[in-house]
Amino acid sequence: MSTHHPDEVLLMEYSAGTLSEPMALCMRMHLDRCSHCRGQLDMLNSLGAIMLDHSKQASRVSDDLFDNIVAQIDSEPASREATVEKPSNDSPLERLLGSDLNELPWKRQLADVSVYDLSDRFPGEERVTLQKLCAGGRAPSHSHHGSEATLVLTGAFADANGVFSKGDFVILDHHHDHQPVALHGEDCITLSVMDAPVKLTGRLTRLLNPFIR
Amino acid sequence: MELIRSSQTAATKSRNVTTAPDSSRAERSKDHWSQLLERVASHQDRAAFHQLFEHFGPQIKYYAISNGIAHQAEELVQEVMISIWRRASTYDWRKAAASTWIFTIARNQRIDMLRKIQRGSAEMAIETEDLWQIPGDDEKDPVPSLHRIIAERRIRDSFEHLPQEQLTVLKQVYLEHKSHQAVAEDLGIPLGTVKSRVRLALGKLKVILQDQDL
Repeated sequence: MSTHHPDEVLLMEYSAGTLSEPMALCMRMHLDRCSHCRGQLDMLNSLGAIMLDHSKQASRVSDDLFDNIVAQIDSEPASREATVEKPSNDSPLERLLGSDLNELPWKRQLADVSVYDLSDRFPGEERVTLQKLCAGGRAPSHSHHGSEATLVLTGAFADANGVFSKGDFVILDHHHDHQPVALHGEDCITLSVMDAPVKLTGRLTRLLNPFIR
Repeated sequence: MELIRSSQTAATKSRNVTTAPDSSRAERSKDHWSQLLERVASHQDRAAFHQLFEHFGPQIKYYAISNGIAHQAEELVQEVMISIWRRASTYDWRKAAASTWIFTIARNQRIDMLRKIQRGSAEMAIETEDLWQIPGDDEKDPVPSLHRIIAERRIRDSFEHLPQEQLTVLKQVYLEHKSHQAVAEDLGIPLGTVKSRVRLALGKLKVILQDQDL
């Protein structure tokens, strides 16, 4: 059970489906390990359903829509129904990477810090990286320009705000001036999503880039 | 009637496995839509499926239009209904109300549709359902069903008493697919104000459960 959680505002954006893909990945991986947040998400999903039910502006559907749906169901080979659910034991991140975390071509940036950039796997402008702080290692003191969501994948790190271990989720921003230190025994690997350097606004842009916040 | 009775028998069996004390009380409050879904799952019951369509079809169409994909509104209804038909057997009333389960399917299909438009023919590196799960797709324990049902009733009851300004923010996020940042820009108010309206609303609805409630 994690001790550092996303706040309810972020959970609501996740429930509503407005978060970017990399942010959703961080949330999903936290939820996998956190029954507290899963309980809250259940309620937020219920709220979504209740809002839809309350919208009272439900739109009339075409007269032949149901027949079309039934026709499509009838035309589907039965095998497709069987393939709907096949949950795998790998985490979504492992499926994305297609390899073990330790097998990745890490790029060493500093004595104790290595990075693997995942940004090009996602649309949008956010910088998505895996960061590895070697066991007992120390990162240089830094603060954050935008905001950075961090999910701990392995090991643990500590800074002035506490100890963050596997499954913990934390948003770091300019309020945090931190100098993380990895605990001994295991490398600390985190998934990190940094805000887009360029913020696109306006209705049309939002429509075209639904996953850029 | 035969259909309903047999689906209840199945539910009774699974209840014995969990032996949760609140299950029998929760079972009695199982809603109409959950019963219909179970008939679709156990008997491919088309009359039940049609009732679900009559109720949720127009809602899903409205959802698509409010989300800015009016041109694909009926396509979304179709995709969601087919998905409901195919995966009805994975639905578990103890994990989510039928309407909640259907909401998450509609949300995911909407995300999927937008992702495909955005990507064109490019392959998606990660499946939508790897990012946004449908309740019941995993074995992890949900909020105990009776607590969930009571909490949902509470949300439903207090929902209509929310101040308009809080309701507007919730609607823009859930039904118009806007981030909090986008809502702030749209309403011309600071992001912090949007977040505090969200927090106030969630507090009033008691959406955020305290640990002792769980």
